[in-house]
Amino acid sequence: MSSKTEGFYEVLSPWAEADSVPYSAISTRISDLADKKIGLFCNTKRVASPTLKAVERRLKKRYPSATFSWFFNTAPNEAIITQKRKDEFDNWLREIDAVIAAYGD
Amino acid sequence: MYDAVSIEDRQKPVVMLANYGFVNDAESASRSKGMPGVRVISTKVPCESTVLEDIEAGVDGSWDDIITALTKPLTAEEKSPRVEKTETPARIIFKGSLEEVNRFFYRRGWTDGLPIIPPTEEAVLEMLMGTDLPADYLLGKLQSRSGKATIEKIAINAVMAGALPTYMPVLIAGTIDLLESEQGFMGYTTFGFSTGSWSPFWVINGPIRNHLNINNSSGAFSPGNIANATIGRAMGLIIKNIGGVRKGIEDMGVMGNPMKYTMVIAENEEESPWEPLHVEHGYNKEDSTISLSFPQSFLQHYPPGSDAASILQSVIDNITRGMRYTIVFNPSTAKNLAREGYNKENIKKYVAEKKLVPAAQIKAQLGAVVTPGSSLQQSSRDTAEMVPLIRDHRVIRVIVGGGPGAFVAHLIGGGATPGKKEIQKIELPKNWNKLVGKYKNVVPIYAKY
Repeated sequence: MSSKTEGFYEVLSPWAEADSVPYSAISTRISDLADKKIGLFCNTKRVASPTLKAVERRLKKRYPSATFSWFFNTAPNEAIITQKRKDEFDNWLREIDAVIAAYGD
Repeated sequence: MYDAVSIEDRQKPVVMLANYGFVNDAESASRSKGMPGVRVISTKVPCESTVLEDIEAGVDGSWDDIITALTKPLTAEEKSPRVEKTETPARIIFKGSLEEVNRFFYRRGWTDGLPIIPPTEEAVLEMLMGTDLPADYLLGKLQSRSGKATIEKIAINAVMAGALPTYMPVLIAGTIDLLESEQGFMGYTTFGFSTGSWSPFWVINGPIRNHLNINNSSGAFSPGNIANATIGRAMGLIIKNIGGVRKGIEDMGVMGNPMKYTMVIAENEEESPWEPLHVEHGYNKEDSTISLSFPQSFLQHYPPGSDAASILQSVIDNITRGMRYTIVFNPSTAKNLAREGYNKENIKKYVAEKKLVPAAQIKAQLGAVVTPGSSLQQSSRDTAEMVPLIRDHRVIRVIVGGGPGAFVAHLIGGGATPGKKEIQKIELPKNWNKLVGKYKNVVPIYAKY
């Protein structure tokens, strides 16, 4: 490496510009899980399903009146709304009050 | 994380469970999709764990947080998330000595850890001589940050890598290869960032190989040739600085991969008995191309004999699980195979047909991605039955490279679904011959001793 006094450089930025993305708010929370239908959205990695099963067992014990419905995104690294199953996903979600999701990482 | 954003978009509250090591990654993904407030719970559920006790303990540790994330009213910030102002960096980002420039770039996370050449206006202008495209020409927006891949940004990263202006056409084509990569699991958006530490691997074909002195002979994968070294390095910097892929945030490679510094080879078309890779893809021999795959591993093996049966048995013995394969035969081995009637196509078919593994092994490996209800889980194959490891011979590439000797190389990992984008034609500027003449003699001349 040259000495600190040797050479002087005015350099351009390698970091690309990017358009800002408009931000949206998340949706209103539910007041309580009792009597609610909870969706369990499970992605492909192998720990996702047992994690959500463990969550479901605990929720059933604490909220006996809650019900549960699973949805599996079986295509690794593909957003569900870009797949043929988008309508199935939308129909599933319509019946759900709140969702717990796990990717598995 | 994109699915969690889709759920919130549909006005349903969601909480995302993520291992504590992936929280930054999850938050980056939700911000990039315009919903920074998605509630992510950091858990101690171990990644990829199959031990139920560990999973249960991880859930127990996050139990209260999960309930709270679904029920606690939104904060003012969550109701009206403030859009961060887009950073518009000054054109001249820094002034200083070589050492100071290097420290500044390193601290910004803009380098690969090695020293860089300062991208001065003058050096970038020289680099831009390698293309007829204007500096502000936008090729596209590169994931994960949707950074604007302009010709100037490519040139700046090329200067930093130590590339020559004659490499610009290759870097532009390589960037297009990334931009047009298949969406979903088999493309750059997986292999660029995933825990699997996949590395871009670039194969150059056509006349440009010789114009740029890209090594395709002895030690082709070793350091020591400026084209092989800096083309791959520049592409790595393009992914980092234009794509915005940060190690440990978007790039979640568990082990990382030394091939990410650079992994470039030219096919040795002159000594190959077969048609080159780009001709297999429908290009003319006179065209120049760059092709992209994403291997995880590089291995070499030594066939016990130089006859076709010995060579191919060694290939089969050394093929391991992957989604895409590149087999690199040295010229003499390739000629021996050709002499016994083998071409690229029937080598691929032979390997795919003969590489058998127990069905149980396939099922165990697929278990990583098998989810309840999938057809894979319902497979009733006899677990002792020997089945092909490779179901579609088109996932294998065969190229010729390397020097005299017997060793054969395999690059095993990921890449495009056969038939999807993996190769890009390299377009040359009008002044190409003059430019090549200017830089052609940048070659190492070793001292005699």
